[in-house]
Amino acid sequence: MNSKLKDPGIILLYVLVAVVAIVLIWWPTDIYLLGISLAGWLMFSTYLIWFLLAIIYVLWIERVQKEKENE
Amino acid sequence: MQLTETIILVIYLILMTLMGIYFTKRAHTSESDYWTAGRQINTFVGAFALFAALASSSSLMGAVGSGVSLGVPFLFAYGFGAVAILPFTMFLVSGQIRRSGVATLPEFFKQRYGNKVQLLAVAIVVIGMTFYMVPQLTASGLIGSYILGVEYTTAVIVLGIGFTLYAALGGMWAITYTDLVQGALILVGMFILSIIILIQHNGFGSLLQDALAVTPHFGDITQPWMSYFGLFLAFLWFGIVSPSAVMRNFASRDARVARRSAMWACLLYLTIFIFGFIVASAGATLGIAESLTNQDMIFISVIEHYMTPILAGIMFAGLIAAIMSSADAMLLAISAGVARDIYKEYIKKDASEKQVTRLGFVVMFIASLIGILIAINPPQLIAIMVGWVGGGLLSTFGFPLVLGIWWKRANTAGALAGMIGGGLTFVILVITEPFGVVAEPIIAAPVSLILLIVVSLMTPPPPEETQKQVDRYHGERIVS
Repeated sequence: MNSKLKDPGIILLYVLVAVVAIVLIWWPTDIYLLGISLAGWLMFSTYLIWFLLAIIYVLWIERVQKEKENE
Repeated sequence: MQLTETIILVIYLILMTLMGIYFTKRAHTSESDYWTAGRQINTFVGAFALFAALASSSSLMGAVGSGVSLGVPFLFAYGFGAVAILPFTMFLVSGQIRRSGVATLPEFFKQRYGNKVQLLAVAIVVIGMTFYMVPQLTASGLIGSYILGVEYTTAVIVLGIGFTLYAALGGMWAITYTDLVQGALILVGMFILSIIILIQHNGFGSLLQDALAVTPHFGDITQPWMSYFGLFLAFLWFGIVSPSAVMRNFASRDARVARRSAMWACLLYLTIFIFGFIVASAGATLGIAESLTNQDMIFISVIEHYMTPILAGIMFAGLIAAIMSSADAMLLAISAGVARDIYKEYIKKDASEKQVTRLGFVVMFIASLIGILIAINPPQLIAIMVGWVGGGLLSTFGFPLVLGIWWKRANTAGALAGMIGGGLTFVILVITEPFGVVAEPIIAAPVSLILLIVVSLMTPPPPEETQKQVDRYHGERIVS
């Protein structure tokens, strides 16, 4: 079970959940930027974060599997 | 009738049907070819196919329509969950489920939990995916009636039968390759429309100012917090719980290709939501949201307002493409559920591969017919209907699938309790409506999770072999 908790997918899942928590707990509906609620902009900004997490995961898991094969 | 748009749309539909016919022979060679394209799909084709399967009418028409009528943060909430679908799916299931060697989601449930869970899963797949056809058919009916100048009902029937035909003929081969074309068409169409809008409004800043001047609530959070959270949850889980998306994984050449396809599909999907923001802003400048009988029509109004008839025709083909590529994947999931997971598994074990794929063909038409009948009087806005399907599947499948991969102790009784308990809670919440729209999974999914854990711990652990199978999902070699 411990090795599964150190899986890149699980670690990056924590990051994803942390980002979601920041957006939904902070939820600044009354602050506006360019006429749009900051809560909206925060959700919009996560698009790029999600893609970055996808790239990190693919590169990370491929490295892990290469190391496993070499063992 | 819009003549130019009609001609372009008809040419497009003929081309797609020809692709279906071209792949017919190849698809009917074997069951593996029909359901999973012989597991030979590469990263490039796989990424576009996955993207096209996810970028349904809801991502385009529904998101833009609700972004204008409920404020653009509602559209952002769509993308907040929808773009995260792909990394979230990769983190938890993509590689593991590809490694399991199964061809459908119910087959995975059988491998992990046994026959009872598989049968329940088939029932949920068939009901969920048939209902998911409704928003797709609604969208195609709205576009079709506008372009062809025919009744909404006629448009739903004609287009519904059209896309069922090529999906039924060509199976996963036709679906994957038409998705490549359709995915590209969606992307290029949205890109061109966005550029035209930005040029006409002298850039993004002034477009936003114009939108806020005409629609003052455009930048506001107009719904309760739970609606945004519920929408996010329903979409986030969609790649994991929707058989139409999961089946793309099985078609990949290997686990590495499955992951890379998902990564690039994430980029494509992200781009669509950025273009969607621009289109919704343009929709808000038109000030027509209140006057439309169906606010999902806003996207169509934007296309007509900003594009020439030829470009509009291509864009409408792109929209129909988005609908078809999602609906065909759903049809395939339904027919796989009945023909493969029930008929061959329980009714006629010695059925030939041809008999199974033929039955799949018939099932697609029946499912399509039911979808058409419901879509003639759609119960809700496209965005809400899609939210319901995502939420319903999450509340039933979500945790039994993820814990089945990550927790050896999850057993059959726990999975059954999680699926039934989560599903019933979801249905009760939809009927009684105690919260904001699409907020049901916030309660129903945790109910499913708690039941799964508690019942699993109260009953005997799964057999040794099943527990070893969980290790195999993670690529661990078993020494016996």
